[in-house]
Amino acid sequence: MEMVDRYIYAVTQKLRQDQREDIAKELRSLIEDMLEERVGSRDISDKDVEEVLLELGTPRKLAEKYRGTKKYLIGPEIFDSYLMVLKIVLVTIASIMGAVFAVQTILDPVLILDHFIDLIVSIVTGIPIAFAWTTFGFALPEYLGAYQAKDIQIDMEWKPSDLPPIPDEKRQIKRGESIAGIIFYAIFIVILAFSSEYFGIWVFHDGFSGVVPFLNEITYGTYLLFILLIFGFGIIKECLKLVSGKWTYKLAGYTLILNVISMVVILLMVNGPAFWNPDFMNELAQAGVVTVGSEGYDVVQKVWEQSTFWIFVLLAIGLIWDAIDGFIRARKK
Amino acid sequence: MSDEKEHLDKLMQELRRGTITIGVLSQLSNPQYGYSLVTMLAEKGIQVEPGTLYPLLRRLEKQGLLDSKWDTNEARPRKYYLLSETGKNVYDLLVVEWKGIVESLNHVIENKGDDENGDG
Repeated sequence: MEMVDRYIYAVTQKLRQDQREDIAKELRSLIEDMLEERVGSRDISDKDVEEVLLELGTPRKLAEKYRGTKKYLIGPEIFDSYLMVLKIVLVTIASIMGAVFAVQTILDPVLILDHFIDLIVSIVTGIPIAFAWTTFGFALPEYLGAYQAKDIQIDMEWKPSDLPPIPDEKRQIKRGESIAGIIFYAIFIVILAFSSEYFGIWVFHDGFSGVVPFLNEITYGTYLLFILLIFGFGIIKECLKLVSGKWTYKLAGYTLILNVISMVVILLMVNGPAFWNPDFMNELAQAGVVTVGSEGYDVVQKVWEQSTFWIFVLLAIGLIWDAIDGFIRARKK
Repeated sequence: MSDEKEHLDKLMQELRRGTITIGVLSQLSNPQYGYSLVTMLAEKGIQVEPGTLYPLLRRLEKQGLLDSKWDTNEARPRKYYLLSETGKNVYDLLVVEWKGIVESLNHVIENKGDDENGDG
């Protein structure tokens, strides 16, 4: 009879706490009834118990019937979208890692083995992280029951007259654009995360001889977090577009919110201490790109000093326009 | 041949799923426990696996169609199920619906030949 205990335990473990005791009791009396009928007046053997349990089926199946619903990490309603996003994310990241490897190898052919090891390391660490976050992003709403509640609501209130009109060409969001956007953001994330030292003025003296970086490499680690945040927002934005498929006020609103947050983060960042390379002008002079005291030096210095302001202005215009564009397109019927 | 049997099994499974509920409700004017229902229904030609019936009973109870009570006086504690007021009314309505379905389907099945002649 020990096998019966194990069976009941296996079934009830998969059920809600408050149902367990009752179902366990009922199952036990059922199994005893079934055994009794099977053996009549002779003693119960292990074989009898086994046959009865086989008749009841696997604990997993029985528990499923008791629960009535199946449990999913990613339910069938959203599985297709999940798969699509996952593919985009993984393909993008993998191809970018390949690109980084290629760039590094071209710049530094001698260290190809090191670059290759870097590539392997980033694949081994990066791909699972991307996989995990994508899955997490889809699984959390599933766990909270967000998809189901919405579906039920739609089913109950559905009227044919509620069918959305086929969106205007200009309201439609082309999948290709969003996917290209995601790839673009991902490329930048990877480049900034793995090879920020190449983000600067490239100096050539009989071939490539070094980079004068734009960014301050000492403080860069901290800022990287902000940068990833901003580009992460960009990817979220593109994903929202992909899911929505057309411009709506809601989508434009989300875009606006994400863009405003991005702008604030950028503003904090570029105005923060030591974001840019403090020795930029000196290094540039040392590399022989400009000569100290020359007219060119003054121009470059002016440009360098003003760049913070203008970069922010350009970014702000871009982000604001992005949001306004969304609202304009959403208005089109 | 085995292919046909497979199709039949699948369709029969779907068909039974709904009819079992009617069978169960029909037997619960008097309190019954799960296994007695299995044997009662089997005697009347309705095969139900206990693994299907027990969860079904709980679901119907949760929906409010059945009431239940534990009887702990006997050697083996058993949970008895009985139609609730709602359950009785729903059962009566369900029987009317079922008879309608049977009638319509009989009509369709038996007049099959006529329609084919008419079309041809």
